[in-house]
This record gives sequence, C-alpha cells and structure tokens, in this order.
Amino acid sequence: MEEESQLSATTSRIIPLALPKGTEKVCELCQRRAKLQCNKCRVTFYCDAEHQQADWVGIHGRICQLLIPIRSTTLYSLQGAEHLEMQLKKTELIEICRLEAQRKLSERKHYEALPAAQFCLRCSTDVHGPCTVQVVPAYLLLAEANMGLGNLGLVAELLSQVEWVVLKSPDCGHTLHRQLHRSLGLLHTVTGNLEAALFNFANDIYFASEEYGPESTVTCQGYFLMANVFAKQGKMTITHSLYSTVTQTWHVHLSKLVQAHVQNAQTPCMLLEHSYDKSQHAEVDEMLRTILEFEEKNSTQDSGQIAVVTHCLAMLWFLRGDNFKVSPSLSPLKGFRLTQ
Amino acid sequence: MDAAVRHRRGRGRSFLPELTTTTTNISNRNRKWRSGDQHRMKNVDEFPQISSKEEIATFRNSQKQSVCVKMLQEGFHRSFSELFSLLQVEQQKRAESDPASAQQLQPEKLETMRLHLCRAEQAERSGSWSVVCEQRLVLGQYFSASEDRSLSLHFLRSCAGGERAGNCRAAAEARACVAELYLQQGELEQARQQAEQCLRQTEGGSSWSDSTGRLLQMRVRGTLWRIYDRLADAPLEARNYTDALRLLHRSHRVATESEDRQTEATAAYRLGLTYQSTGDHDTAKEFFSTCAQMCESLQDTEGLGNAYKAMAKSMESEGNTQEAVQCLEKFVEVTQRSGVKHNLVDACMCVGKFYYTMGEYSRASHFFLQSYEVACETGDVSLLQKAQVWLACARPQSLIREFSTCTTLMSK
Repeated sequence: MEEESQLSATTSRIIPLALPKGTEKVCELCQRRAKLQCNKCRVTFYCDAEHQQADWVGIHGRICQLLIPIRSTTLYSLQGAEHLEMQLKKTELIEICRLEAQRKLSERKHYEALPAAQFCLRCSTDVHGPCTVQVVPAYLLLAEANMGLGNLGLVAELLSQVEWVVLKSPDCGHTLHRQLHRSLGLLHTVTGNLEAALFNFANDIYFASEEYGPESTVTCQGYFLMANVFAKQGKMTITHSLYSTVTQTWHVHLSKLVQAHVQNAQTPCMLLEHSYDKSQHAEVDEMLRTILEFEEKNSTQDSGQIAVVTHCLAMLWFLRGDNFKVSPSLSPLKGFRLTQ
Repeated sequence: MDAAVRHRRGRGRSFLPELTTTTTNISNRNRKWRSGDQHRMKNVDEFPQISSKEEIATFRNSQKQSVCVKMLQEGFHRSFSELFSLLQVEQQKRAESDPASAQQLQPEKLETMRLHLCRAEQAERSGSWSVVCEQRLVLGQYFSASEDRSLSLHFLRSCAGGERAGNCRAAAEARACVAELYLQQGELEQARQQAEQCLRQTEGGSSWSDSTGRLLQMRVRGTLWRIYDRLADAPLEARNYTDALRLLHRSHRVATESEDRQTEATAAYRLGLTYQSTGDHDTAKEFFSTCAQMCESLQDTEGLGNAYKAMAKSMESEGNTQEAVQCLEKFVEVTQRSGVKHNLVDACMCVGKFYYTMGEYSRASHFFLQSYEVACETGDVSLLQKAQVWLACARPQSLIREFSTCTTLMSK
C-alpha cells in the first residue's frame, strides 16, 4: 500500500495531444504511445502504471537521475566536448545497467532483469552502432533474461544476431565467444537438441580454459552444464565423472575462501570485506544441490563423493553467514565418518 | 570432367583438401583464414551442399580448439584438461626457447594424443587399469623425437606411477622406458632408481616381454648394466677405485644375470681394467681371461684382441715378459684373423713397441714394417705416419748393431 502511494507520487499523467508536434513520447518498455511521465526525472515516459513499476524495480530506480543530462538535449550537447562528455556518461550508464542486469540474473529474477538489459541494449546501440561487438553483451543479457522467462523464439533470434556479429569479428576475445556458446548451449538444452548443446558447451569450456585455465570455477560451470546434458542422454558414468570434477574444483575453491575468511575474522577490521562473491551464491547453491541429488539417487552410491558435496554446501552456507543451515547440511558427513 | 569436379566438391569438406593434410604452422593458417574471411564465405555459398556447423568450425578454428572440442563433446573431460595443460606448458617452453618460431604441435600429434587419451579415459571409467597403462605407454613411445621428450616423459611417468597401475606389464615397461630416457639425459641417479624399481616389479612377472618382443627383465638388466657402467665413470676419473669397483661389480653381476654374453664380456673387461689400475694384476688377469673366453665363444675378435692386449700389459707390469710377448703375438694373430686392418696396425705396433723397449730392434722393425705395410693399405695418413716414425726409429737401431758388428769384424 505504501509503495502504491509512492508510485502515484512519482508519476504524473500527460496528455499526448498536448505535446508539441513531432515529439511523440513512447513507453520506456514497450515503445507504445505514453500516457505517464516519471515525476523525478521528467524525461522518461510509460504507457501505464504497470510498466512504470516494472521499470522502476528493474533499473529506473537506480538510473533515474542519471538520465536527466542525457535525455535533455540542448544545442550545445550535440557539439565537440559536450558531445564527448555525453558519450562518456552513456558508457557509464551502460556499465551500471549491465551489472544490475547481471546481478538480477544470478539472483534468478529474470523478469526484473529485462528492463535493465533492454536499456543496456538501447544505450549501447546508441553509442556504438547497431551491429558492433560492444553491443553483444547487452544482447546476451537480454537473451539470458528471456531464456529464464521461456521466450525461446526470441532467444533464438537474439542469439543468432550475436552469432552473426561474432562471426564477423573473430578476434573479439574469448569472453564473448564463451558467453555466446554458453547461451547457445543452454538454448539447445532447452529445445532438446542435445548434440548441438554438447558442441556449444564444449566450445564454452575450451574458451573458458583459454581465459581462466582448465581448473577455474568458470570452466567448472561449463562442465556442470555439460554434465546435465549427458545426464539427459542417460550417460551416467560421464555425468558422474564430470560432477566429481566440478565438486573437486569447488571444494578447493571454497576451502581457500573459508581459510581466508577465518584469517580475516581474527582481524575484525577485515571482516567487512567479503572475498566471496554473494551474487553467485544462488547459482552455486543450486548447482551443488543438483549434484547432491544426483549422487544420492545414483545406484552405485559413492559416499566419499557425497561427503565432498555436502562439505562444499556447508562451506558455502558458512561463507554466506547462515549458520542455521550449516549444521543440518553437515549431518550426512557424520554418517560418512561412521561408515569409514 | 565437370561432373567429376562437382562430385568431388559435393562431398562436404573435400572442397579444401589441403587443409586437413597440411603440416604448416597452424597459427599461420588461421591468420590466412581470417583475412580471407569474405572470400571463403563466397566459396561456401557457391556450393549447393553447405557444410555442417561442426565442419565449418574445423576450418575456422585452430586445430587445438577442434581437437579439444571433440574430446569434450564425447565427454572425455579429464583427457581434455590434461591435454590442455600439457599444451600450455609446451607452448610456453617453446616460446621461451625460441620466440621467433614458437611452433605448435603438429596436427597429427594432437590427433594421436586425443585418440589414446580418450581410450585411456574410457578404460579408466570401466576400471580396466592395464588398458589405461597400455594406452599411456603407446603415447609415451609415440613421442620419440628429442624435442618431444618432456611429453614422452610425462606419459611414461603417469603410466608407471599411477596409483592403481600396480603390477601390470605396461607399467613396468613404461618404467624401463623412463629409466632409459633418464640415462639418455645423463640423470644417472634417477635412472638407477627407476631401473632398480622396475627390476623389482618384473620379478612378479618374469614372462613379460616388451612391445618389440624382448623379455622385459633382460632389457631392464641391460639398461641397469649400462647405468652402473656410466655411474662408475665418475669415481674412475677421480681415481676412487673402491667406489668404482663396487659399482662395476654390481654391473658385472647384472650383466651376468642378463644372460647377454656380449654385455658380460664387456663388464668383465672393464672390471679387469680397473683392477689393473689398482695394481691387482692377478685379479685383472682372471677377468681378462674370462672376457677372452667369452669373446672366443662369441667370435668377437675385437673384444678378444683387447683382452689379450690388456692381459699383456698386466703381465708386462708384473715383469713376466715372456708371457707378455706370447699374449701380444696372440693379439696379432687374432687381429689378423679378424681382417680389420686398423686393429692389425695397432696390434703390430704394440708388439713392435714391446720389442723395441726390450732392445730387440730387428724384431721390432719387422713388426713395425708389417704395421707400416698394412697402414699403407688402409690409407689412414695419421696411422701411416705413426707407423713410419716407429719404423724409422727401429730400423737404424737394428742397422747400427749390424754395422757395428761389421766394423768390429773388419777391424779384426
């Protein structure tokens, strides 16, 4: 209720017919004729309150004030130094939107990530041109958000755009290649084209290894996705072997983090600085749980493997500071000790 | 003609046949590809049957990438990470040693590595460890060129040192290969450790033979003999005869066990030489005579000659000139039989020198003459000159004696 009132305070109704000729205002999200205006910046318009709210939660809340200098064009702003400064501001804005969208995506809030990704794409196209390498990250974000929402047709379209851009400039760096292949792999997994998915994930892992080395957590993510495809194909030995590699890598990584965390805890001033990336938490948690479930269901129960996964989960929750969840997740470990 | 061309082109990837067989620098090729991007695009459009995405990827990307992707696609991720890190290390090393031509591994080598690593991983999954070892052994032996030695060593060591490899033929053979590699590199201590361990390993399976069909146990003994032999070089150089003798006795024992007569003869000969240097001529003579016997049975005239020569030297230092001369004459006889002219020159010269020191100049000059004549036949100038000098020394001496007897007769 409180939010409602706040929202109504931030918008005011505009009458399209009253606007000067040739300056039709369109909705920020759907590009239809706008009827509402953001009261805070006065440069953003919406077709209805629903879109306004979605945009506010998604990205507008963060960039509302930053939009004012960009959208209020004056005669000066189109020339020389002013123009350059404007470009710089836009680039900054793109970065903010990208990070925001990424955060929302890793928190699995796909719908909320949409406005940020969309704005990021629009702004990047504005700055760098429509079919350039710099636009690719925005396309990928948009594709990922849509993938989460299940708009597979749109995802395919977006990804083929990206593929075309990357194809035209093969030297665009490993990161873009990796992200493109990962997204394509995910798309193929969902649509059931498992062979193509494997091909794309294999490329994803290759590029990740080139960039971070074969033992990094980024590469690991690729292994995990690949293992899921193999599980769908029913190749359980391969899945098991891949999962064990993933677990091993995360175990090493988390152990290091916990060690650093304990050391930091001894010097209280360092405690605030979290070496652990919280945004990844949900993703990793989901991954480890999937592995645990698989291992427990597996006919040849590998108790050592289960123990390692559980230990990983416990460390993960410990780092998160959620001691409540640590102790129940450790209980299988005790059982493991007894069996040994 | 036209139809034939179209038919050939129609088979997917054959429109660029030289790409798959070429051994030129991969990175070079890539660069070429990238610059000729648009041209290639046109090419693809021209043909009605468009290649699949995977096929296009093999042309577009580096060999390394396509090999890695293929491995991963089939689920061999362990092989992938092993290959990837190996390639990284290799690339770094090559870039350091020669930055101008930081060549990558040849495509067929990559392909071989992929094949065998994948087979090994497959076997590992099903738990057949001996197959794993065999595949790794194949890889270890495949990289025989000197520039790939580190790769070979990696595979052989991983084969021999695998925890679950335990007792299998391939692991033992890999260890033997590791020992040989260390021996080649001159890391004798490590070579010794590996070879001794391998020998212990083969005790469990004395019927194992290596890939060439030789008995593994014998092969390891042969290697171990060479290692001990080389190890003895250092103390010999430092005139530390007790250590040298200890090592040489070991090498002799291993050589005896290896049942290779040739090796055994050489070991005995070296032992004899060392005893000779310590001044223990009796023991030295014993070893020389065993060596001579063995060489006789093997019909190794060179070894036999050497044994006689060494024996003569021992006898000479004992003051037993009569026997020494006999030995030396046997030496000449043996070399005459063998027909190796260099040795004959050498033998004759030895005898000649012996007589020369004893003051029997006419006999000495007889042998020197013989050696000179043979040396003429060989055409070896330095040898010929030596023979000439000796002959020139001995001849006048003998003539002086004749001359002096003549003059005394005349004066009478």
